[in-house]
Amino acid sequence: MWWAGGLAIGIVLILAVALFQPIGVSTQYVVLDGVLLHNVLPDVASKSPYLAKATQGWTLATFEFFFVLGIPLGALVGAMATARFTTRVVPTEWNKRFGSNPGNRLVWSFVGGFLLLFGARFGGGCTSGHMISGVSQLAVSSLVFSSTLFASAIVTARWLYGDWGK
Amino acid sequence: MDLIAGLALGALFGAALQLSGASSHTKITQALRLKDLTIIKLIVVAIGVGLIGVHLLDLSGWAHMKIKDLYLPGIVVAGLIFGVGFAVTGYCPGTALVAAAEGKPDAWVTILGGMLGTLVFAFLFPDLETLLFSFGQYGPVTIHGLLGIQGALLAIPLGGFCLWLAAKLPGSGGAR
Repeated sequence: MWWAGGLAIGIVLILAVALFQPIGVSTQYVVLDGVLLHNVLPDVASKSPYLAKATQGWTLATFEFFFVLGIPLGALVGAMATARFTTRVVPTEWNKRFGSNPGNRLVWSFVGGFLLLFGARFGGGCTSGHMISGVSQLAVSSLVFSSTLFASAIVTARWLYGDWGK
Repeated sequence: MDLIAGLALGALFGAALQLSGASSHTKITQALRLKDLTIIKLIVVAIGVGLIGVHLLDLSGWAHMKIKDLYLPGIVVAGLIFGVGFAVTGYCPGTALVAAAEGKPDAWVTILGGMLGTLVFAFLFPDLETLLFSFGQYGPVTIHGLLGIQGALLAIPLGGFCLWLAAKLPGSGGAR
């Protein structure tokens, strides 16, 4: 199904570029943070020029945010169609290497999520915005980001999941 | 109208990721360990189709292109940090949302960690900007722009190459 999935993702990108703009996900983490913070502590939120710039008008009613909102909805339909729901905390490969302790997996998932989005914001995009949209547009920054992210992820994964010396 | 179109396209994207297994920690980490390249094939096809489609649109004048700026030390550091997070969680910012919809608690926590990482970045940004973004700025450069040629001239053969490469790379069950 890799070819059908890849084709569908390519078509989503082409439609998005035709109608609005290339696809991206990680900016919407900023928008969600900004809107949530602005609701609770408006003064603090307004102090960050970065939040104010990404979240224009402190609203979630944009094409970009609704695109990201659609992702779990589509995934939910897919998961229902394939009956692939699971509440497992510890993935198989993690279990093989680090054991079945759920707290351990959750703490590292949090740390990993922190690095993932910190890196994405630092680089101005993620797998969607840089790798799919950016490389398709032949952007040099996206090619540099994608190559370094893969190099770093491959080295980390081979070390983390115990392929060294095998 | 914009919102409905966004939701529909996002849902198509989310369903495609879910159905092709991109939200599976096992599939992602096996791809990164170069043991099962299914996810790599998926990405390469998406980029191949994207390269051809986006540049054909651009030729017709219908494309809304958006090229990200190149800032050299920053982009490399960013990619290195992202890569570590990708390997540890087995998710990217988009597939974490897919995995969360499948009920996986570690994906929910990944999203929460991501929201904190984003917030910390937002408040560090003024300092990071002066430190890292002040030099090595090249603006929104593209390969075809540097070569001074029409994008489609490069994108269509390259897109074709991606599709060929995806078909040639070993799938699951190949290298284990």
